[in-house]
Amino acid sequence: MSASVLVPNVVSPIVVSLYIPAIFTGLIVGLIGLLGISYQKNDLNALILTDIVGLGMLILVAAVGTDLAEALILPGLVVELAEILAISEILMSREIRKKGKNVDLIPLPVSLDMEVLTTAPTFMAVILIAYGAFLSGFTGGAIAGAGILFYVLSKSARGVPSDIWEGIAGASGIAWCLWLVGFLVFFVFPQFWLLALFLAAFGVFIKVAYKAGLIGVIGREEFKKE
Amino acid sequence: MLDLYIWFYTGVALVILGSLATAIGPGVKDPIVRTLNTEIAAVGVSLIFLTYNHTIALVTYIAATTIITMILLRAIVRLEEVGAEL
Repeated sequence: MSASVLVPNVVSPIVVSLYIPAIFTGLIVGLIGLLGISYQKNDLNALILTDIVGLGMLILVAAVGTDLAEALILPGLVVELAEILAISEILMSREIRKKGKNVDLIPLPVSLDMEVLTTAPTFMAVILIAYGAFLSGFTGGAIAGAGILFYVLSKSARGVPSDIWEGIAGASGIAWCLWLVGFLVFFVFPQFWLLALFLAAFGVFIKVAYKAGLIGVIGREEFKKE
Repeated sequence: MLDLYIWFYTGVALVILGSLATAIGPGVKDPIVRTLNTEIAAVGVSLIFLTYNHTIALVTYIAATTIITMILLRAIVRLEEVGAEL
């Protein structure tokens, strides 16, 4: 490698030696995915191939090999997930509108009319959200979001009140502001670092937990309204 | 002690083979086969994350790739029930 690239001493030599192969792997994988998409006429198959392009992106980011890479992979995963979810919803609603036929929200070969889904959701959701709040940060947000999602999906047969989702979207925006304020405090008032840490941790916790609100907003038209 | 490079290059081979299989592999006219082929590439990416010690990223990636597979399978099944040509 040319000496013009500045590599800090903290990066281990093995990561530096793997950098070029990893970058080329990412580029090759991304290229294969994009070529596959360009030859594709079917929308659904193109959607599956965007997953492969996402993998190329993840390898490129991972090649940095420090904590920075880890911090960049997590939002990349969330963005990829949201993107595939949104595009698949668009595809499905377009086809459903074209054919004028209605199908289940989640088609399953077995009937999910289980006792657990009518009695346990509240308990399970409370435990998951409490544990997520204890963890805080990104991981806690994911766990609490799983709790909220589980609650919503098991209640969806009975109908979810539609205006709850506007409230959730608003709270998510406020949490995002908390996170930003936390970062600002880090730089402007470094002596209050503990306050800033907790603002950022719980802001991102609430924000990630309410990513479930995204699924709720999409499903709002499809869930039965009360 | 196994060489660290084995894991990395196994991951690289799996990613490239998996993405080729997803793009032009046998039977990929069927979207379910295509979705299952992405799993090969996903295992390769997991091995690369493992080489770099990206623990949190690896754990989150395993969860996210499972959810993505579930979303894609749900889309395929719903589109088939509607009767769209796939």
